[in-house]
Amino acid sequence: MPTMAGTAGMITLTRPRQLEEPQMSEMHHKKPESQEDAPLFGLLAEYNTPSELILASQKVRDAGFTRWDTFTPFPVHGIDRAMGIKMTRLPWLVLGAALAGLSLAIWLQWWTNAVDYPWIISGKPFWSLPANVPIMFELTVLFAGITAMVGMLVMNGLPEPAHPLDLKRRFARATDDKFFLLVETRDPRFDEVLTRSLLEKSHPAALEDVPEDRTTSAQIPTGLIYGLIVLTAIAVVPFALFAKARTTKSRNTRIHAIADMDSQPKFKTQRENLIFADGRSMRDPVAGTVAQGQLRDDDALYLGKVNGAWARTFPSQVTPTAELMDRGEQRFGIYCAPCHGQSGEGDGMVHLRASKLGQGWVQPSNIHQQYIREQPVGQLFNTITHGIRSMPAYGPQISAEDRWAIVLYLRALEKSRAANLGELTAEQRQNLK
Amino acid sequence: MADSNSRDKKSKSQHPAKGSGHGTSSWGDVIRNSSDTHRLFVFAGGIGGVALLLSVALGMGDFKRFQYSYLVAFMWTLSISLGGLWWVTLQHLVNAKWSIVVRRVGELIAANIGLMAILSLPIVVPALLGNSDLYVWVDSHRMQENHVLHQKSAYLNVPFFAIRVVVYFGFWFLLSQHLLKSSLKQDSEKADTQTVRLRRLAGPAMMGVALTLTFAAIDFLMSLNPMWFSTIFGVYYLAGCVLAIHASLALTLLWLQKRGVLVKTVSQEHFHDIGKMMFAFTIFWAYIAFSQFMLIWYANIPEETHWYLLRAENGWLKVTWFQLIGHFILPFAFLLSRHMKRSRTALALGALWVLFVHYVDMYWLVMPTTFVEGPEVHILDLTCWVGLTGVFVAAVAYRARGLNLVAVGDPRLETSLAFENV
Repeated sequence: MPTMAGTAGMITLTRPRQLEEPQMSEMHHKKPESQEDAPLFGLLAEYNTPSELILASQKVRDAGFTRWDTFTPFPVHGIDRAMGIKMTRLPWLVLGAALAGLSLAIWLQWWTNAVDYPWIISGKPFWSLPANVPIMFELTVLFAGITAMVGMLVMNGLPEPAHPLDLKRRFARATDDKFFLLVETRDPRFDEVLTRSLLEKSHPAALEDVPEDRTTSAQIPTGLIYGLIVLTAIAVVPFALFAKARTTKSRNTRIHAIADMDSQPKFKTQRENLIFADGRSMRDPVAGTVAQGQLRDDDALYLGKVNGAWARTFPSQVTPTAELMDRGEQRFGIYCAPCHGQSGEGDGMVHLRASKLGQGWVQPSNIHQQYIREQPVGQLFNTITHGIRSMPAYGPQISAEDRWAIVLYLRALEKSRAANLGELTAEQRQNLK
Repeated sequence: MADSNSRDKKSKSQHPAKGSGHGTSSWGDVIRNSSDTHRLFVFAGGIGGVALLLSVALGMGDFKRFQYSYLVAFMWTLSISLGGLWWVTLQHLVNAKWSIVVRRVGELIAANIGLMAILSLPIVVPALLGNSDLYVWVDSHRMQENHVLHQKSAYLNVPFFAIRVVVYFGFWFLLSQHLLKSSLKQDSEKADTQTVRLRRLAGPAMMGVALTLTFAAIDFLMSLNPMWFSTIFGVYYLAGCVLAIHASLALTLLWLQKRGVLVKTVSQEHFHDIGKMMFAFTIFWAYIAFSQFMLIWYANIPEETHWYLLRAENGWLKVTWFQLIGHFILPFAFLLSRHMKRSRTALALGALWVLFVHYVDMYWLVMPTTFVEGPEVHILDLTCWVGLTGVFVAAVAYRARGLNLVAVGDPRLETSLAFENV
C-alpha cells in the first residue's frame, strides 16, 4: 500500500466516506464482470516531484473539492496544509482513553486489594497507592497506545481491502518515486471537462481516467472467512483443555513438561537413601566432633534446664534489660504474632484466614491461660525451641538469645493482663487515669 | 540556491567577523550579535560577581551554611552545562537534523564546563583540606563507625575523590571544547568532515558522559549521606540535567529572538521540539524519581529508608509533596498540549518553571542532610544562586560575542531550517 501523504497529521476523513456510498454497497451483490465500459471513478494525475504535487494540491483545495486524496512514497511536509486538512481530533480520543485507563487501574487495585480480597502484604495498608502506581502507569500507556493505533486506522478508513487505483499499473510507483493526486467523481464539484482542465493546468506528467473496479469482488473471499473460523476454533482448544483440567479428575499422572526439573537427582531431608546402611539422607556429624560455633554445653542457656528441671530464672548470660525487651517484642512480632496475634490471644492473621478456610485448623493457644502463665521460663523457652502439638519448632530459626528475649517479652505480655494496681508506681497510676 | 553565484555570496556573508556588529546569513537572518551579548556579559557578570563576593563575605561567618547553599546552586548550574554536553553529544550520536539550527547555543552552554571546574573549588578544596562539614566521609574516623561505612571508605576517601574530580572535569572540558571547536571549524570548512568525525566520536563520548555524570552525581550529591544506597541516583541527576538544558535552550533562543537574532532561523517547529523534550523528560524525571522511591518504600530497609524519612518529616514533607506536584503534575499538564509547546509565551513560562523546580529539586537533595528541621531559606541561598547563575550567563555571553550563533557550515543546515513537525 502506498503511504497516505504525510504522517500523523494525515488522518483524513475522506476515505471512510467512500464506504458509506450506496453504489458501493450495491456492488457487494454483483458478480465480478468486465472492466470494459466501467463508469469513471476519478481522475488520476501523476507528478514527478513533491513540490509539483503540493502546487497542484493547493489548486484543487482552492477549487473547493472535498473528495480527493494524494499518494506519495514518503511523508511530504506541508502536504496537509496544501490539501487543507484540518488538525486531527485523535489526541482527544487518546487523552480520554488514557484517563479511562488510569481510572480503571485505580479502581481495579482498590477493589481487588481493599474490598474483594483485603490482605496485608509486607505490612502495608490494604490499599496502598505507591504500590499501585506501576499498574496505573501501564494501563494509562496501554489504553492510550492502543487507542492511538486503532483510532488512526478507523479514522483513516483502514484497512481497505480493494480500491480502484489498485488496478492502475502506473499507480504502483506511488510506493517508489511518483506522486499522485486523485479526484473522485463523487465529489459534488466534479465535472469531467472542468476538473480535467484544472488538473491539466498543474502540468502533471500524466493524467489518466480511473474506472470503477468491476473485477474485484467487494466481498471477503470465502476461503479467508473459513480460514479465520478454523483458526479461531484452534485458538480456543488450549483454553478449553485448561478449563477441563481445572474441573475434572484424572487417574493419569500429570504431564511433566520439563522432567528433570520436576524430579531432580538429589536427596532431600527426611527422604530415604539407599546409599547408606541406615537408609537416611541426613547424616550425623562425625562421632566425637562439634562444628565451629555449635558447642551447646550450657543447659541453662540452650535447653532452659537447671539440674534436669525447667529453669525458673533466666540464665546468667541473659540480663533482662529494656533493650532485650524491645528485641523480644520485635522478634515476637515477626515469629509469634502471625499465629498467636499481637496480644498473644491466639487470634493472629494466619489463624483468622485459616479458620475462614475451615480446613481442620486448631486455634493457636492463648498465652494468657493460667497453665501457661504458671510455666517456668525454661519450659516456655523449650516450647519455642522444639514446638508443641501443631506448633513447629523455632529453634533452628531463632537464636537462643532471641528466644530468651521472646520469653522475657511473653512474661511482660502476661503481666500486662494480670497486674495489680499495687504493683504500679504512683506515676504509672497517674497515667492510667 | 543552487547556482554558484548565490553560494559565493553566502560564504562571504558568513565569514566569521569577530566582534564586528551583526552578521547576516544567506537566508537573510541576523546570526551574530556583539552589542547585546556584550551588554548581557557586563550586566550578568557584574551582578554575579557582586553576589559571589557577598556570598564569600557572608560565608566567613557561617562557612557550613555557605557550603550547603553553594553546593545547591553549583549543582544547579553544573546540570545546565552537563545537560548541554549530553545534549550536543546526543545530537551527533543520532544524526539529528532538526536541532542543527539550535545546536550552537547548546555547544556554547556546554563549553561552560571549564568555568564550572573553577567554580567547584569552594566545594572540592575544603574537602581536600579535611573539612567534613559537607561530606562526612572526609573524616576517615567517621568511616570506621560501622561496617557499611568501612566498606564504602574504599571509594569515599579524599585522595580517590581528588582523582575522580580531576577526571570528571578534565573529560568534560576536553569534550565540550572539542565539540565547540569542531563545529566552529565547520563554519568555514562548509564540508561534512567534522559531522562525520563527531558522529564517530559521539558513541564513545556518550558512554563517557554517562559514566562521569553518574559518578559525579554520586560524589557530589549522594555521598552527602554515605550510608544511603540507590542504584538509580545518577540517572535521577541526568533527568534534571536534560530538563535544565532544554529549558535553558528555549529561554536563550527566545532572548536572542527578542533582540532580532535567529528570528528566521529558529521557527515555531524547533521550539515545539524543545518543548516536546522538556515534556518527555518531565515524565522521565517522575519515572526515575518514583522508581527510586517505590523500591525503597516497598523493601522498607532502614539503611535505605532513612534518606526518605529525612524528607518525609518536619518541614521537608511539604517540599516532598511540592516535588510531586510542582516537578511532575503541573508541568505535565501544562506542557501536554501541542499548542502550549508552540506558543513562545507558554514555552517561556514552562521553561522558567522547570528551572525553578529543578532548583528546588537540588535543594531537596542537599539540604535535609543537615538541616533536618525543614527548609530554612537563608540569604546565602539567594546570593549563591545569583552569583553562580550570573557568572554562568556572563561566561556564555562572553563566549558568544561575535560568533555565529548557528552552525552555518553544517551541510544539513537547509534540512534543519525547513524542519516541520507535520
